[in-house]
Amino acid sequence: MSPGSAVLAARAGRTGRLGLARRPVGLAIVGLVLLAVALVAGIGGGTVAIAPGDTLAILGRRLLGLDIATTWAASAETIVMDLRLPRVLTAMVVGGGLAVAGAAFQGLLRNPLADPYVLGTASGAAFGAAIAVLIPVRALVLEFGLLHGFAFLGALAAVLVVYKLSRVGASSPMTSLLLTGYAVGSLLAAGLAMAMYLSGAGLRQIFAYLLGGFDASSWGRLAVAAPLIVIASLGILLRARSLNGMLLGEEAAAHLGVDVRRERAVLLALASLATAAAVAISGLIGFVGLVAPHVVRLVVGPNARLVLPLAALLGASLMVGADLAARLLGDLPVGVITAVIGAPFFLALLRRTRSGYEL
Amino acid sequence: MAAPLRPRARRAGRLTSFVLLPLLAFLAACGPSAVVPTVPPGATSSVVPPATATPAPTFPVTITDDEGTAVEIPAEPQHIVSLTPAATETLFALGVADRVVAKVEDIAAYPPEADDLPVVATFQGVDVEQIVSLEADLVIAGGGNPSFTPISAIEQLRRVGIPVVVLYARSVDEALAGIETIGSAAGAVDAAADVVGSMRADFDELAAATAGLDRPKTFYELDATSKIYTVPAGSLYAEMLELAGADPITTDDSYEISLEELVAADPEVILLGDDADYTTVDDVAARPGWGDITAVKDGNVLAIPEYVLVTRPGPRLADGLRALVLALHPEALD
Repeated sequence: MSPGSAVLAARAGRTGRLGLARRPVGLAIVGLVLLAVALVAGIGGGTVAIAPGDTLAILGRRLLGLDIATTWAASAETIVMDLRLPRVLTAMVVGGGLAVAGAAFQGLLRNPLADPYVLGTASGAAFGAAIAVLIPVRALVLEFGLLHGFAFLGALAAVLVVYKLSRVGASSPMTSLLLTGYAVGSLLAAGLAMAMYLSGAGLRQIFAYLLGGFDASSWGRLAVAAPLIVIASLGILLRARSLNGMLLGEEAAAHLGVDVRRERAVLLALASLATAAAVAISGLIGFVGLVAPHVVRLVVGPNARLVLPLAALLGASLMVGADLAARLLGDLPVGVITAVIGAPFFLALLRRTRSGYEL
Repeated sequence: MAAPLRPRARRAGRLTSFVLLPLLAFLAACGPSAVVPTVPPGATSSVVPPATATPAPTFPVTITDDEGTAVEIPAEPQHIVSLTPAATETLFALGVADRVVAKVEDIAAYPPEADDLPVVATFQGVDVEQIVSLEADLVIAGGGNPSFTPISAIEQLRRVGIPVVVLYARSVDEALAGIETIGSAAGAVDAAADVVGSMRADFDELAAATAGLDRPKTFYELDATSKIYTVPAGSLYAEMLELAGADPITTDDSYEISLEELVAADPEVILLGDDADYTTVDDVAARPGWGDITAVKDGNVLAIPEYVLVTRPGPRLADGLRALVLALHPEALD
C-alpha cells in the first residue's frame, strides 16, 4: 500500500463507518450485481411488453450465437436488439463515465460540490449545441449531426480556455481554476441564453438537449462515443494513486512523489474528454456525476482506488435505471429522473452519516 | 400539423405568467413556432412512378419525400402509422383507414373514427418501440426545420428498416403534392388524384371569387397568450390568406411579432386563429395597447372557429380557405 493510500485508509476508518473499505471484493460484487440487475431491467422493460424469457432468448441467439428457435415476433427482436440494447448500453457507459469524471473533479479540486460540468464543460457543450441549431445545415457523419460535434468541441474548448486562463505563472492553483470555471461558465451561459433567444423555432431542439436523454441512441453512435468514454475513464482509474496524493494537498502529493502539475493536467484532460463525449451523445444529465462518487465515499471512505471503480458501477446502474424510469413514464427527460431520485437519496445518506464526512 | 401543439403551447404560455422562469418562457415561445418551422432550401415533393407505369398502384415504389430522401416501399403497406394530424386525415380521405394502425395525438381528430386509433406519439416524443411492435410498414412523418417529428425518431425508424415519408408543405401546391405522395406511398394513387382534383377545383373557385376584391390589411393571430405569433412570409398560411383576399401582415422567418410592429402595421382586420377556450373577440379589445388598432376600433376582430382547417395541410384545406373567405369577404360566397 502506498503512503497516500495508507493515510486515506486511516481516514476511511473515520468516514466509512461500516468498515466496508476492507472488503473491496465484496463491494465490487455488489456493484456488479447492481449493474447486472439494472441492465436486465433496462433491456426487459419498455413501453412494449416482451416476455422476459423471449428477451433472454433473443439476447442468447443474437449475442452468444445460441441455436434457439424463434417463438417471438420479428418486431420483438428489433426492439430488443436495435432499440433497447444500444440505448441501455449508452446509458451505462455515459453514467459510468460521468461518475468517474465527477469523482476525479471532486478529488482534483478538493471540492465536494464539483461535478463533471464544473469547469465549463456543460455550458461549453450547451453553447456549442445551440450554435449548431442556429446553423441551418443538416449533416450527418457516422450518425452524428452538427449538434453532437459542436457540443463535444464546445465542452473541450471551454475546459481548455478555463485551464489556460487560470494559470498563474507556471501553475494554475485550484481556487483559480474553480473561479475561472465559474466565470467562463457564466459567460457561456449568457451566450447560450442569447442563442436560445435568437433560435426561434429551434428552441425546442436546444431545450431537449439541455434536458438530456438517450432516445437518440444507436449502435453507430455508441461505437464512436463509448471508446472515448471508456478509455478516458480507465485512464483516470489507473491514476487513482495520484488522485489519492492530491487529496492530501499538493505539497503532500509532491512529497509522495506525484508530479502534481503533470498529473493534474492529465487527469483534467481525461475527465474532460469523458465528460465531453458523454454530453455529446446524451445531452446534459445532471446529478449522477455529483452523487455517485459521494455515495460511494460515504460507504468506503475517500480512497480513490475504491471510489473510482465503484462510482463507475453505481453511476452506470443509476443511469440505466433512470433511463428505464424515464421511458416507462412516457419519455420524460432523464435529467429530471436523476435529480428526483438522486437529490433525496443523497440527502438521506448525508444525514445518516452526519459525523465527519469529508472528501 | 399545427393543431395538436396548440393547447400545450398555450398551457406553457399560461404558466409563464405565473412562474417567471426564463426557461419556461423559452419553452412557451417555442411552442407555436415549432409548429411550422423555417424552410429547408431546395426541398420539393415529387413522386417517381414505378418503371412500368400503370394506373393501378404497383409496388415496389420509390418516393422522394419533402426532404429529398428517396424512400423505397417494397410492398403495399398494411400497417400504416400517421405521425401528423394532416396525414391521418389524408389517409382516411383516401379510403385506406383500415390499413392505418396508429396515429399521433390529435386535439381535433377528423374524421371522428380517427379518434379510435391508438396514439403512439405526442408533442413530447414518438414511441418508436410501439411503432416497431405494430409491425409498421409505412410511417408518414412531419418535417421542417426543426422537424415536426423529432429527427431522432425518424432516424431510428429508418435504421430498423421502416420506410418513413417526411412531408412538409410550404404552399398550397406542396400540400396537394403531399396528398398525392401519401397516395403513392399507401397504394391509393387514384383516390389521391380524385381528392386533389376536387380540392384544386375548390381552390380555383374560391381564388376566382376573391380576385379583384379589396385586400384588407389582415393580422392572423396564431397565438398571443404570452408573445404574439403570426404567419411568416412565404408560408402556406400566408398564401392561404392571400388566396382568401387579404393582405397579410407577415414576419420574416420567425413567427414572432412585437406589439409595436403590430400597432405600426395597423391591421384593418384581425383574424383569431387561436383556441376559442383561451381567446375570444372581447379579450382582444381589452388587451393593453391594442385599443387603437383600426381593426379593434372598427370591430373587425373575427374568430376562425375551426382554425385547424387553415393550418392543417390535409384534405380539408380548401374548407379552411372557405372559412377565411367567409370571414373576410362573405359577399364573395353568395
